[in-house]
Amino acid sequence: MEQSESSHGEEDDGPTIAKRAKPEVVKEMEGILRPVKLSRGELYKPPTAEELNQLKEAESLFHCSLLKMQMEELLKEVALSVRRKQQIDSFVQNVTELLKTVPQTPVVELSDLSWLSGGVKVPFLLVPKAAKGKFHMAPPISVNIIGSYPLGTCTKPGISVDVAVTIPADVLHPKDALNQRYPRKRALYLAGLAHHFNLVPNLGVLSVERYLLCSGAVCVSDDSMLLPLSPGKENSGFTLRLHACPPPGFFKPSRFHPQRNNVRTEWYTGLRSSQTEPPTPHYNSSVLGDMLPAAHLQFLAAVHSQCSAFTDGVALLKVWLRQRQLDQGAGCFSGFLGSMLLAYLLTSHRVSSTMTAYQLLRNSLHFLGMSRVVTPLSADRLLPSLAEFHSVFQVVFVDPSGHLNMCADMTACTYKWVQHEAAQSLQFWDDPTVDGFHALLMTPKPMIRTADHVFQLCGLAQLQASCKKLNLLNELMDHSGNYILTVLPFILSLLQRGLGERVRLLTHSLLPDPEWSVESEAPKHKVQPHLSFGLLLNPEQAVSVLERGPPADSAAEFRQLWGSLSELRRFQDGAITEAVVWEGETSCQKRLVPHQVIKHLLQLHADIPESCVRYVGGMLDSVIKVCSTGEEESLKVVQSYDDLSRKLWRLEGLPLSITSVQGAHSALRYTQVFPPVPVKLDYTFFHRDKTSKCLVPLEDKPCPVYITPIKVICHMEGSGKWPHDRVAIRHIKAAFHISLGELLTQQHHYTCQPSATHLDVWKDGFAFRIQVAYHREPQVLRESLSPEGLLIVRDNEEAQALEMATIHQPFLTSTLHGLQQLHPCFGAVCRLAKRWLGAQLFSDVISEDTADLLVASLFLQPAPFTPPGSPQVGFLRFLHLVSCFDWRNNPLVVNLNGQLTDYTEIKNDFIASRESLPVMFIATPKDKKVSFWTKLSPSVQMLQRVVLVAAESLKVLEHQLMDASQIQDIRVVMRPPLDAYDVLIHLQPRQVPLLNHAVDKPHVTFSRGVLNVGVPKTGQAMPVVDFSPVACYLAELRDAFGDLAVFFCDPYGGTVIAVLWKPKAFHPVPFKTSQMVARRVEVTGEEAHTVPNVEAILEDFRIMGQGLVKSVDLRTERWVV
Amino acid sequence: MAPSNAKHASQACIISGGFTVLSLQFSTESTAQHNIFVKEHRVRAEKTTHRPLDRTLFVLNIPPYCSESVIRELFSQFGPVQSVELREKPGSSENATSKLAKYFTTAQKQGFVVGYIVFQKATSIAAAKSHPHNVPLVVSTEQQPVWTGLKKWIHQYKQSIVQTDKLQEAVDAFMQDYDQRKNEEAKRQKKQAEEQQEDEEGWVKVTRGKGGAKARPHSEVANQKALQKETRKRKRKELINFYTWQHRNTQKEHIAELRKKFEEDKQRIALLRAQRKFRPY
Repeated sequence: MEQSESSHGEEDDGPTIAKRAKPEVVKEMEGILRPVKLSRGELYKPPTAEELNQLKEAESLFHCSLLKMQMEELLKEVALSVRRKQQIDSFVQNVTELLKTVPQTPVVELSDLSWLSGGVKVPFLLVPKAAKGKFHMAPPISVNIIGSYPLGTCTKPGISVDVAVTIPADVLHPKDALNQRYPRKRALYLAGLAHHFNLVPNLGVLSVERYLLCSGAVCVSDDSMLLPLSPGKENSGFTLRLHACPPPGFFKPSRFHPQRNNVRTEWYTGLRSSQTEPPTPHYNSSVLGDMLPAAHLQFLAAVHSQCSAFTDGVALLKVWLRQRQLDQGAGCFSGFLGSMLLAYLLTSHRVSSTMTAYQLLRNSLHFLGMSRVVTPLSADRLLPSLAEFHSVFQVVFVDPSGHLNMCADMTACTYKWVQHEAAQSLQFWDDPTVDGFHALLMTPKPMIRTADHVFQLCGLAQLQASCKKLNLLNELMDHSGNYILTVLPFILSLLQRGLGERVRLLTHSLLPDPEWSVESEAPKHKVQPHLSFGLLLNPEQAVSVLERGPPADSAAEFRQLWGSLSELRRFQDGAITEAVVWEGETSCQKRLVPHQVIKHLLQLHADIPESCVRYVGGMLDSVIKVCSTGEEESLKVVQSYDDLSRKLWRLEGLPLSITSVQGAHSALRYTQVFPPVPVKLDYTFFHRDKTSKCLVPLEDKPCPVYITPIKVICHMEGSGKWPHDRVAIRHIKAAFHISLGELLTQQHHYTCQPSATHLDVWKDGFAFRIQVAYHREPQVLRESLSPEGLLIVRDNEEAQALEMATIHQPFLTSTLHGLQQLHPCFGAVCRLAKRWLGAQLFSDVISEDTADLLVASLFLQPAPFTPPGSPQVGFLRFLHLVSCFDWRNNPLVVNLNGQLTDYTEIKNDFIASRESLPVMFIATPKDKKVSFWTKLSPSVQMLQRVVLVAAESLKVLEHQLMDASQIQDIRVVMRPPLDAYDVLIHLQPRQVPLLNHAVDKPHVTFSRGVLNVGVPKTGQAMPVVDFSPVACYLAELRDAFGDLAVFFCDPYGGTVIAVLWKPKAFHPVPFKTSQMVARRVEVTGEEAHTVPNVEAILEDFRIMGQGLVKSVDLRTERWVV
Repeated sequence: MAPSNAKHASQACIISGGFTVLSLQFSTESTAQHNIFVKEHRVRAEKTTHRPLDRTLFVLNIPPYCSESVIRELFSQFGPVQSVELREKPGSSENATSKLAKYFTTAQKQGFVVGYIVFQKATSIAAAKSHPHNVPLVVSTEQQPVWTGLKKWIHQYKQSIVQTDKLQEAVDAFMQDYDQRKNEEAKRQKKQAEEQQEDEEGWVKVTRGKGGAKARPHSEVANQKALQKETRKRKRKELINFYTWQHRNTQKEHIAELRKKFEEDKQRIALLRAQRKFRPY
């Protein structure tokens, strides 16, 4: 069939594709990717010219055609449907009709508001109150749709259609541009419109309820007032925004030159000032912005008609901006600016009009990322010069008319942030190992997950005081009294100076556009909830406790900045300079040095008290706190291990030499949740075993302190003397353990305790568990003789487990140890992640190694973010990764050491054998096909549960961190929901050794046989190592009832074991000899069925945990059949 | 089986499959009971001597806290017990591991087990099978308490402490034995080789000498290696893109490759679209 079709050529292409598509529909149902099978005929039929072109284009323009298709799909999602457009058109029609019927009102004084009845208030803060002029309502001269809708660049969601309502010329006066008279008239006019809409019993679809103060919608101006309308009852998801504008050409644009003054000081302050009037650039641009939308629309429409992909390009750019939260709020990089930018690139021939949307996006990002300053669209001698713009604005992007700076409100920080994002996007766009599309356009980047540290200014009324302190009256006048916008640039530059090298970038949240009811007064500036700032830290400099300044004679500036904290210091290199020293001993304190800096600077220079600064950076530290957050403790362990390793290497008298000593424990890669601390033991607390000099726990005492055995793998040299037999190898290894122990005792006086499988060494208050390994042992385990005498090699579990323990785990440990050296907060993120997994009872579902790998992937492949610079942001991204990764259809590739350059092979293998692979598939350079870390767990159901809980935790946590009004208890995410479980086994706290590490600190503490004084000495009795009744109990329970139930427990001080019955086990089954575990028989007629003997099982829970179990709590009656 | 059935209360309870249900409880205060199922051991293929068919009782569902000695004690009320064997799963016995010292045996699962109890007398089996259902066997009594929980774990910990000299002894003993076996094996092989040298009629089988090139080892890996070597050799000799048809084929292959990728991508997209994965927010 295929062959015959292929001969027809072009016209048959359609049906073939349709046919091919059919089986896909079936596949979609199952939601799993499968390898594509194409018949030979289809693959090798002669290509048509069109198909060839298509394939070639896809090959040369994109890394893969996938990205192209993905973008096309995305565009379909955001584009407006035809039906929606019709709805909008008819709605606009109605509103236009209605606007024509606005009645004339008699002329009144501007300050007389009596004509406004019906509870409608004027949307303007009348400060100062007095204003000259007259006002009356009159129907608008014209009503035009402006902005993105007529251009077709309007995108979902939050569709807004902008309508310009032109105020008749007789309402205005040519001198109205002065002293806020025009903005007031505009506000009055809008209030009049609102009044009209509410009075007229109109079509019943309109409701005017709110005012919106919007910025950057169609044009820029800090407060272009508008009136959003949405079709009432049917919440159709779009709003119509009415902008009131002056008639075109009413004011002379040259009046609004950025250097000119249009708000008189005398009028504003009521005081006569003799100075020259200061320029009011922001006020000017806000008035100017109202005059130009029509011209902008014309300009954009002209560009749009030249370039066919303009619409799509703008849409993509808008999505990109929105994912980065850059497109809304005061001083944002709005969609309008995006289209202007693209238009600029097109008119200046930086991009060609034949380019596709993909290329347009790429080029505009390239332009944003690489260029330093945005240059004006036109350069005319008569217009204000660029230098004049730069002298008053931080960011300059001049519109086509040459009068208006479209980025008037944007702070330099916001623009830098845009640049940073663009540069970063380009970086990973070209990286074949990153899913570019996803990182570029699909991943939202909220500030809390992007910035390493975040701090918030609460109680913004305080900023009024800062205005005074910083002496910003003129600027305040320019911003019409909006002190937040006035102070913001100054605070930013102050912090930028103070933080200096500590931060790579400083960003701030854009103030949301206020929206309020027509019947209430315009909101005051202080009702804004808070202002958030994000810091992107420089990991090396951010933790430095020293701020070194210049020598004393040239340090005036330095002293001015730091105030009393600056003092003269003498340094080791002999220099005597001014310096500031911050507090910080442990690394968790050092990480918060930026907090101290910010607190100090804001207090000193801006009069913002400490109580107004809410610093979100170390809030999660408390859950992993031992003394510090574990870095120092881990370092001690690693140092002790290094010493042991050196001593092992130098050991004399071994029959074979040691070829490698490798750590294989999470404490040796800084990722142990609670790293072991050296302990000194109270010997009276234990029973002493006579023959072996080992301590043994006593029954009547609380469970002794848990001493973690730190696993160390010691590879011995290969030699012909090693036997070629699995049992014999084990015996030889035991002999090595004995002799290693003897030598260590002889030469270094360590207490050693050998056994067949390992050797425990007690050193510096740590217990190291050395395991001897022989590199050929896995091979020996795999070999067997077939009946014909042929030597065959077959993989088996035993060999895999051994390889895991002796090869893969040590390798992972050393690799991750390296990663910690590169990223100082890697360990802390791992600890937080594992603490969370433990607290949510998932420790056995996602193993420690898996969790470490997941966290490592955040550092190795951070796109679209930067590698996490604080534990908090890392943890949030970990939760996001777990909850949002498409585990079913994608392998997670953890590119350890950057060894992989191409993932296609891994992806193809993955798709080819998806069903047989683990649900959570993690590939590493050493393990491309099997994912051995996640082979055993998690199962599908458990992964689903983890994903669910992670998503919920993330939501709660982000909410709490960003919103000061929430209950501030981040431990909420560490408390598991226990109502889902069938049985809860409560344990005796005194027998839970890690009780002190519990999420909620226990009220009572028990003596665990540890002396607090003195340094641990080597060469004493062997302590109780690796003894945890909880672990013993869990192991016994799982052995006995693993077929009937699943057991969950928090290994870090959890005092409850949660049990979930397996529903399958509770169906009555016929009597079968092999399946009789803990079941009883029920005879009904002839047949005997068996069901689990629940009463006896519950009794067993108590019996098996005698001394440990406090109570067994039944939650459900599910077993009742 | 309803335990509350008053009529059959004092009788033995027998269910299909020939099993008798006995109840077992941990101590006299226990409120719940386990059902254990006993039956005479009857397997046709069984040849081992230590499970004589007429005297062996097969027990199912023995709780994890019953050790061999506890079972021996429990069942001695039906007659003197000769031996008790507890296993994870029913099946023929193996005693390969029994030779190893205790340090080298791998840890057993501590779950429910099945047991083979060999009585000294055949009559004991009948006694066990007719034991009334409502009289439970009691595991832990005051005279012979069974340790569970904390006491047991502490005991286990104590047991896990190995005495170095004993371990060394065990290792030495095993290795001596192993070396001896190896030596014997070597001797046997040598002898075999010698035997091959000249048969009765004076014929000598000529094999490659030891000093010469090594013979290919008799193993799977070696076979594969040889095969690979062959194919590699063939490949090296092959001419690529030499003839026109070869060139054409390469181009065809390239287009086919692109097509395949295109199809794969299309499938991917279709799947993602179905899952609404293209909604950016």
